[in-house]
Amino acid sequence: MFAQLVDGIFWDIALWVFAIGVVWNILSIFRVGNKPDYSEPRGSAVAGAVATNLRRFMPRSEMVSRTRLQVIAGYLFHLGLFALLFFAAPHVLFIEAQTGLGWTSMPYWAFIIAAQLSFTGLLLLWVHRVMHPVTRLLSDMDDHMASILTFIVMLTGCMALVEAFEGLRVLHRFTVEILMVYFPFSRLMHAFMFIPSRAFTGAWFGRRGVKA
Amino acid sequence: MAAQTRTANRHHRIIIWSLLLLVAATLLLPLIPYAMDYVDPSGTVPNPGADLWRDVRNGNIGTSQVLGVDAGVLINDNGERWRHFRMNQLIPVGAMFMGSVLALIVLFYLVRGPLRIQGGATGKMIRRFSVFERTTHWFTVGLFWLLALTGLILLYGRFVLIPVLGPEGFGLTASACKEAHNLFGPMFLVALLMMFFTFVKDNIYARGDMTWLLKGGGMLGGDHVSAGRFNAGEKIWFWIAMIGGAVLIGSGFVLDFAVFGQGREVMAISHVLHGIAALIVITVSFGHIYLGTAGVEGTIGSMVNGEVDEAWAKSHHDRWYAEVKAAEGGGENEESAGGTAATGVASPARDA
Repeated sequence: MFAQLVDGIFWDIALWVFAIGVVWNILSIFRVGNKPDYSEPRGSAVAGAVATNLRRFMPRSEMVSRTRLQVIAGYLFHLGLFALLFFAAPHVLFIEAQTGLGWTSMPYWAFIIAAQLSFTGLLLLWVHRVMHPVTRLLSDMDDHMASILTFIVMLTGCMALVEAFEGLRVLHRFTVEILMVYFPFSRLMHAFMFIPSRAFTGAWFGRRGVKA
Repeated sequence: MAAQTRTANRHHRIIIWSLLLLVAATLLLPLIPYAMDYVDPSGTVPNPGADLWRDVRNGNIGTSQVLGVDAGVLINDNGERWRHFRMNQLIPVGAMFMGSVLALIVLFYLVRGPLRIQGGATGKMIRRFSVFERTTHWFTVGLFWLLALTGLILLYGRFVLIPVLGPEGFGLTASACKEAHNLFGPMFLVALLMMFFTFVKDNIYARGDMTWLLKGGGMLGGDHVSAGRFNAGEKIWFWIAMIGGAVLIGSGFVLDFAVFGQGREVMAISHVLHGIAALIVITVSFGHIYLGTAGVEGTIGSMVNGEVDEAWAKSHHDRWYAEVKAAEGGGENEESAGGTAATGVASPARDA
């Protein structure tokens, strides 16, 4: 009964909330628009947008020693999660079944490595967030919820890896659905917004000839 | 016509009797050696399967079409010894060991109570652990307990969880725990290396550690015992965790990645080492947790906020306290350099 709900109506609701929520969120940000800028351009806004997008992949040189842990853990987590999300064999099969689009999945050993890296990064980032007095102060319930939900989704996914028990697959899918409903209303939206956000900052400064 | 019918009937009888004879021969011929042995027990009538099963029992390796390590071994006789050890020694003795230590800790707490800060807290705080050190510690703690709980469920779940969840429920839980345990295990290597390189410099034997040990760290007599940044008890725990952790990781890799040509024997030995090391480290960690929380007043703050009361520092780690104070007042050069490794003073750079 519960499995039918999770595979049926719950999934449909989660998918619609996720899709509408994400689109609504992006549109509402873009609809705010920009004030017209009548100043003489001193540089290229487009070049600034592109450069800032690329530059932000590396920490500023003054911050390297202070942010080494966050940078390394951040890359471990995000790259590992990307690989798991789009190249884990069960996910590729699921996406193919849903959309008809399929691609080559990664081998089992690569899945294990990606999962290890991702979990290591996520745990380090979350513990550091709690331990550092500044990030602890800046963090609110949303930040912790996002970390914990992501961890639970990854954990249930790995627990269901051998696909020996239907209950574990259903549990994983249910946690994914909870995350999908939560996603548009949280800072997890940065997955869609980090490029436009960097581009906006880069363009604004780039037009003024400032390296952002 | 009549002659033809008689001939046909005779053929039918021949066929039927032949079939009956074949069936009877198939059934009775194998019994002949046993019958002979019954009639004459002194006769040497070998069991045709005896040699085969003797070879199997002795662990002689045969040939098989199946490729892989130990594929030629039909039955691993040592597996029974391993199973016996696991069921009759590791599981019950481990449970008694953990239970006894837990009971002793509770008893000690009830009799002795928490160790209070001498003279009471002053409210003046002193930095004990940097953000990086605390992050490393809690990262390791999280992994350790995730592995410990899933491992204990795999070891004791059959006795504890089947009555609660039923066989199906336990099967599902055990499968989930096994996957999680196998997945998180290799990450413990990262945590252990981080712990080692972060804390090893302050966990080397130093003068005064033996005195601390002989006096039981002041827990028995109540007298103050001098100590550096880490006392001898903490150092012992550090090395138990490091050595035990190394055994756990090494044996865990053998068990987790059965792709390096290891056979059943190696796997069984690894499992025994893994189980013993895990039970020792888990049990000793009870003491560490007790002393870090309820056992010694003001200690938990050092790993949560990174700070301890000055009175706590003077009371439990007076030599370290003196070094910190000397570093603070000893010159701005040390502070601007980001703290000193020797004193373990947290550096602003590492805190960020």
